[in-house]
Amino acid sequence: MINFFKKNYGIIRTFDFKRHYVKAIYFLLVLIALLAALIAIFPIIWTILSGFKTLSEFVNEPRLLPESYDIGKFIKTWNLLGFGRFYVNSLIVVVGSVIFSILCNGLLGYSLSKVKPKGYKLIYSLILWSLMIPSTTSIVPLFLNIVNLGLQGSFIPLWISAGANAFFVILYKNFFDSIPQSIVEAARIDGCSEWSIFFKIIFPLSYSINAVVAIFTVTAAWSDFLLPYLLLNNTGKETVMVRLFQFRTSIATDVDIIRAVTFSIIPPIILFAFFQRYMMEGIAKGGIKG
Amino acid sequence: MLKKYKKDIAGWMIMLPALLLFTFFIWEPLLASVVMSFFSAKGIRLEKFVGFQNYIEVLQHPDFKAAFSNTFVYTFWSLVIGFLVPIFLAIIINEIIHLKGFFRISVYLPNVIPGLAVAIMWTFIYRAGKTGLLNIILGNLGVPPQAWLTKAHLVIPLIVMFMTWRSAGATTLIYLAGLQGIDPELYEAAAIDGAGLWARLRYITVPQIYNLARTLLILQIISVFQVLYEPLILTNGGPNNASTSLMLLVYKYAFEKFDYSKAAAVSVIIAIILILLTALYNKLVKENEM
Repeated sequence: MINFFKKNYGIIRTFDFKRHYVKAIYFLLVLIALLAALIAIFPIIWTILSGFKTLSEFVNEPRLLPESYDIGKFIKTWNLLGFGRFYVNSLIVVVGSVIFSILCNGLLGYSLSKVKPKGYKLIYSLILWSLMIPSTTSIVPLFLNIVNLGLQGSFIPLWISAGANAFFVILYKNFFDSIPQSIVEAARIDGCSEWSIFFKIIFPLSYSINAVVAIFTVTAAWSDFLLPYLLLNNTGKETVMVRLFQFRTSIATDVDIIRAVTFSIIPPIILFAFFQRYMMEGIAKGGIKG
Repeated sequence: MLKKYKKDIAGWMIMLPALLLFTFFIWEPLLASVVMSFFSAKGIRLEKFVGFQNYIEVLQHPDFKAAFSNTFVYTFWSLVIGFLVPIFLAIIINEIIHLKGFFRISVYLPNVIPGLAVAIMWTFIYRAGKTGLLNIILGNLGVPPQAWLTKAHLVIPLIVMFMTWRSAGATTLIYLAGLQGIDPELYEAAAIDGAGLWARLRYITVPQIYNLARTLLILQIISVFQVLYEPLILTNGGPNNASTSLMLLVYKYAFEKFDYSKAAAVSVIIAIILILLTALYNKLVKENEM
């Protein structure tokens, strides 16, 4: 017979379950966890389902769930707001960001971990400090920098901004630190340049860390709104989040807004469904928070 | 001679793309905002050096006092609500044998959703009148509808609750990783010595995650100091400045009053506070490593 309460880690152990009060505590814990899961999931489900309500239902009737489920309402809002365009723009931002994020942060992490040129310690401590400085505090001068280069209304600043991420540099550095230095030394003796060592030897070994960085870059690029809003508002290149931010100042019905929220959260949820293992491992290892 | 420096040059060449981006997006704007805070400006053009004039005017403005003290209220509530919830959740989930994967995924799920979308979702949850989600749920328990976000003494705890809903899952995963790193034999040895469940929690689990908790505490304070879009979307700082934050003050100076110098002055004040906190954090991390 399989023991229902086999547990060889944590505070409560298999032998503790012989006592009745331990079983009671255990079921209490499961109950609390179920409650927490419910609190975590329910608002999301409610938001998605509320999109099926009509405007008068949503504004007047204190009911949890809609009366009917007609997907046509979502299609109507999608067409009304022209959401396809925002999806395409967000996709362009996301793809460019991932490329710059992996290449630039990866190369910097590699140099800090394996090449260590003179003065690398200074750069490393600058990167560590940058972790703590919120990007929003210097958004005005940054915006002016971009305007001076004539890059407002362009996707380029958003792409390349992903290439300057202190978290990812440190993630990469820690990962490369775990690759034996001897592999790199052997390649150097064979006459490989640092570029070819990175692309031909290190890069193929870095699948898992690249996946983590790529996924987090996708979520970050999809979610970002302040800089995209300043650069892309009213240019026809608005991303999904810029469109959501516009609701602050533009007129729209509540049901259209809540359906737009659903449109904006579906892609990240799908991404999570496919890659949840990488995302949750990345959190546990790197301590990244969204 | 050149050969001796070959490695250094190659190392710097590899770092160059990322370093240029870090300079452009993070380091130069930070310095520029310090410079800007000492000048009077017309639009984006700096006019003349005014010394500490911007700082004096900012500090004397009643909005600053409200934002400054609110930031501490945010921090207080995020410690009461946000700090303990992930610790309890992690300990509970770690003890549970059944449905563990489901619990981990579901508490993490809110973290996947873009912050702006979450903020809009929660405006519908906290909505005044009988059709907000919170009022619908409380209505079933016989509580009359409340205008939640107009209550000055409640508005910050409510915003912190929504921030906790979004971010607790990620922190829980970090604690879970820490709990799984505890040597299982410690518990066995304690159990053999007759330690009950409470004693094992008190004398093994708590000391083992104490350092991790201390580090995450500082990180959490640092991130709460930067609270911006939550009050921006939910309350715009209201009612009557009751939920305004320092970052929201920067946002309003910069993008509503277009007074970039004063925005820069507040940014610098925030950056100084954050640098002090970061120094404290680094000191704690160093102690941990020893």
